[in-house]
Amino acid sequence: MEEKSAKNVLEPVAWLLQMISGAILAVLITVHFYVTHMVSHEAIHYNAVIERLHSTGYKAMYAALLFFVAFHAFNGLRAIILDTNFGARNRGAVNALTMLLFVVAFVYGLYLLVIV
Amino acid sequence: MVEFRIKRFDGSRSYWQSFEVPLKKGMTVLEGLLYIKENLDSTLAFRYSCRMAVCGSCAMKINGRPRLACETQIAALKSDKITIEPLDNFIVIKDLVTEFEGFFKKHERVKPYLIRDDISYESPVELIQTPEELKAYYDFTLCLKCGACYSVCPAAATRDILGPAAITAAYRFCMDSRDRGEDKRVDVILSDDGAWRCHFAAECSEVCPKNINPAKAVQKMRVKAAIKGIKRIFRW
Amino acid sequence: MGVSGWFRGVSPYGLAFSLHRITGIILLIYLCMHLTYLTSLTDKTGKTYETLISITVTPTFLPFDILLVLCGLYHGLNGLRLIVHEFGFAYEQRKAILAASVIITIAAWLYVSYVMYKIVVGG
Repeated sequence: MEEKSAKNVLEPVAWLLQMISGAILAVLITVHFYVTHMVSHEAIHYNAVIERLHSTGYKAMYAALLFFVAFHAFNGLRAIILDTNFGARNRGAVNALTMLLFVVAFVYGLYLLVIV
Repeated sequence: MVEFRIKRFDGSRSYWQSFEVPLKKGMTVLEGLLYIKENLDSTLAFRYSCRMAVCGSCAMKINGRPRLACETQIAALKSDKITIEPLDNFIVIKDLVTEFEGFFKKHERVKPYLIRDDISYESPVELIQTPEELKAYYDFTLCLKCGACYSVCPAAATRDILGPAAITAAYRFCMDSRDRGEDKRVDVILSDDGAWRCHFAAECSEVCPKNINPAKAVQKMRVKAAIKGIKRIFRW
Repeated sequence: MGVSGWFRGVSPYGLAFSLHRITGIILLIYLCMHLTYLTSLTDKTGKTYETLISITVTPTFLPFDILLVLCGLYHGLNGLRLIVHEFGFAYEQRKAILAASVIITIAAWLYVSYVMYKIVVGG
């Protein structure tokens, strides 16, 4: 029985991106948390948040953080569901739904970044 | 005397049954089971063969961990109560006997034999291998196919997966310098139930009776397969 | 045996996996909550956001924040360990690497909790 490899060509890519996004998040989340919770009590208030969101550097960092965290979280969820027989039977739907959730989370966060 | 508390299954219902077994110095769990079968209850079903930890038939869950019954000394368990159950993640047929057809079929899927296109039976040529080349895969040849690794794999608890033993077998052949069949095995490893279901819980390595470290083989095999899989994308 | 089979690991590596999965799920839920929370920023007067801050960035919520930080630190540092091993490196040193990641997690957590405590309570 020949194995169908065509459909599985994205799995190694998803695995690699999970590792890479994990490493990147280790840095970005540390920075994010440091800036918002470890410097001063003012950093968490509305004006300080808006000031950061209007700076190009922070905007880029937040966009990157959002992208990688949304991918890592929903790809992780995908891996967990695929660990079940339900996931095995409905692989296409699980892949599509979790990646859709990733896109929704990313787009929604980007929307907030842009309009605020 | 030691209490053997055994999880029985008669095809329709599961129940626990206890037996008192006289303990002799050096007695193994398998000897205890044979004592029960010969003296107390001949309907007790369990697999065994070599009695010396080379065939893998007698793997079962003893006091919560999968072990080979033939090499587990009762005294070493340091308990008056020995709890015995069939391996987890396998379908139970009767008592301590589980279905193994599926497990062996997974081995078949990874093509666990040397693959070369220059094998000639009319004019055979010796395949030379240095001791260093042998060392690269030797440990992984020791697998008994006992199923202990599969029984503790978290992913195997919720889904039928290729499993640590089969992936280790694939790695064993891919690392064999005489083999030319890595490409043929990579598809199996890349499949949905293959290497991606491993998250390095590494419980498999903890329970392997031959200390093969299947967890290591799975990580190494996954990287090999991922590299080949990603290279294939760029050739499209 | 279902999903409970994921959390049966008794070796240090099995326990580490169980915690990694649990913290991952917690952080996923938190991510969704956090994005929802940030919707309050669309109120350009800042009132909605500040109201939420006045409720959640308080000594009452601090224990939850500290536990969340533990989840994040553990998942991140254990994740770095997994990256090393899943790329095929340092299998023989897995015990030392696991010990190091747990020790660093606890040390960082104690430090961060102290700083957060000082900011929210100590003032």
